[in-house]
Amino acid sequence: MEIIEKIKTNKSIDNLTEIQKICLNKLQSSPLPNPKSEQWRLSNKSKFSNFLNYSVNEKDPIFDIPFPKTSQSTIRLVIGDNCQTNFIEENFSIKQISEDKLVKYIKEQISYFDQNENWSDLLNLSLNCTKNILGLKINGSEIPPIEIFSHASSNSLNAKTLVIFLEKNCDIDLLQVNLGKDNSSLSQSTFLCLEENSSINHGVVSYGENKSNLLNSLNVIQQNNSEYNLGSLHFKFNYARFEIRIKQSKGNAKTNIKGMQITKKDEQISTFTKIDFHGPNGFLDQINKSLADDKSHAIFEGSIIVPKIAQKTDASQLSRNLLLSNLAQIDTKPQLEIIADDVKCKHGATISQLNEEELFYMRTRGITLTEASKLQLSSYFQEIISFIPVSQDRWDLLDKLLNEN
Amino acid sequence: MKESDPILEVENLSASTDNLPILKGVSLTVYPGEIHAIMGRNGCGKSTLSKIIAGHPSYNITNGDIKFLGENINSLEPEDRAQSGIFLGFQYPIEIPGVSNLEFLRVSTNARRKFLNKEELDTFDFEELVKEKLEIVKMDHAFLSRSVNQGFSGGEKKRNEILQMALLEPKIAILDETDSGLDIDALRIVASGIKKISNAQTGIILITHYQRLLDEIKPNYVHVMSDGQIIKTGDSNLALKLEEKGYEWTDNFIKET
Repeated sequence: MEIIEKIKTNKSIDNLTEIQKICLNKLQSSPLPNPKSEQWRLSNKSKFSNFLNYSVNEKDPIFDIPFPKTSQSTIRLVIGDNCQTNFIEENFSIKQISEDKLVKYIKEQISYFDQNENWSDLLNLSLNCTKNILGLKINGSEIPPIEIFSHASSNSLNAKTLVIFLEKNCDIDLLQVNLGKDNSSLSQSTFLCLEENSSINHGVVSYGENKSNLLNSLNVIQQNNSEYNLGSLHFKFNYARFEIRIKQSKGNAKTNIKGMQITKKDEQISTFTKIDFHGPNGFLDQINKSLADDKSHAIFEGSIIVPKIAQKTDASQLSRNLLLSNLAQIDTKPQLEIIADDVKCKHGATISQLNEEELFYMRTRGITLTEASKLQLSSYFQEIISFIPVSQDRWDLLDKLLNEN
Repeated sequence: MKESDPILEVENLSASTDNLPILKGVSLTVYPGEIHAIMGRNGCGKSTLSKIIAGHPSYNITNGDIKFLGENINSLEPEDRAQSGIFLGFQYPIEIPGVSNLEFLRVSTNARRKFLNKEELDTFDFEELVKEKLEIVKMDHAFLSRSVNQGFSGGEKKRNEILQMALLEPKIAILDETDSGLDIDALRIVASGIKKISNAQTGIILITHYQRLLDEIKPNYVHVMSDGQIIKTGDSNLALKLEEKGYEWTDNFIKET
């Protein structure tokens, strides 16, 4: 109940919005997630309570984006920054969704929420006033790449919400960057709606600093013939959860997911995915990689749900994990729930260490152990990094990662 | 009496892995310009000997010494051995998905060049060098853009090993069953590549089961290994006898001292 009181009595929140009231009301019945539930049982309790410990901060200090914008055509937005969000060009338009429509949409989403499964979203929406909710409606063609930043401030709990409607026949490259600060907690909820024949190459890159925490929830609804490609990367968080919920609402849609989480020291980072097929001929190809070092803990739990209506579904979910230390821990659980009888679904998980024979082979060619490990990690990262829509000249993510590790 | 100093001296070498003795007193000396063949049944310790000379961390030397150019290298790291000129051609070359063959070859070549106080090569200069070396093993340039050994046929992997040998210009090359899995044409290409790379200053150890490689590259010495020891040494005729009589013929040999 503490968190509810904290929100209600927070001085930085002027007036509670209708959405906040609804969510707070829902949280009253379950103020904290059920620690025995599948989604939360492995969550580190002290780290999670540390997430909630910071004071709620609605008013952000000035934010400096950590890397330069090199291409003029890229559209760059910072949630909560009052930046220009309306772009109307000959071929395309990106417009801010009106408050009425946004509230209506979010209320509808809340009505489908499962109290425990969507706890992160309920928290996010109960924390968030209108200023930190960015709603965009995108249509047209030849849309330039979009970058959207969410950030936390030191010693604060910040919440940011992003809602995007991608209209029919639209293709976009969207990079979402979530940045943690020293001793901070960031709650990020994203809602994407892909209309017919639309497609998103979506990159989610989240990284923190010392003692950063993150609750990152992503909700995607795909209509017929839409294609959703997600490349994600989470690293340098004391505690982070990435929850992905994708619903192919009428089937006949394609989803490709390549995600990775990297943990060191005593960090805990987890990824939960739920892919729901609500029609026939759905397609999913998912790979999730974890790399755990020192005394850290990485978790992956994935579920693929194929009801009777989802005949001819073709889904694959693979969890590949690398343990770099004897004290690190990896939990992985890919799952299938299949009712339909004419489907092709597979799942699997592997946990291994750096391949010693590969390392020896490289060393017999004069490559040092450090360099050989770097080459091996680079190959491990490459599959995921190459799927994230980030141009190399703008941000050399691979170098950043290799230097970090 | 040899005119020059030996490249490699293995002296009474014993080694084990997981407390299981594999080598039980192997001695072998290779002088510049010499080609040695090591033959023997599967599991007799041939590959282990090659790995230990290259510095595989899974094996412990329990007795004896390995000297390279007069220096004891028992405790030298594999990369230091490679940089100083020891090359191991693998029986089963390792696939490294995601690591570009070209980049791998360039990093390896530069590590060796650095040791030799030669200028390191940038991507463009290296492309020139590798183009020339590809000719030796008749490999297509397209192999360079693929991941190291990934999706290569058995023959292509072995040719890639010889390409690496050509780029690294080792003082001594230990080629572990380089002939296995090769068809007749590929065997000739690989053998001719080895001959082109070797010279009067280098030494070669060929580990093989078959005479067909030794028809292409005539060894100065043939050693027969059994149960972690070299039990007989002879000239190239020894390999012909083995081909004719099989390893059973060697069963009654007593270790030659």
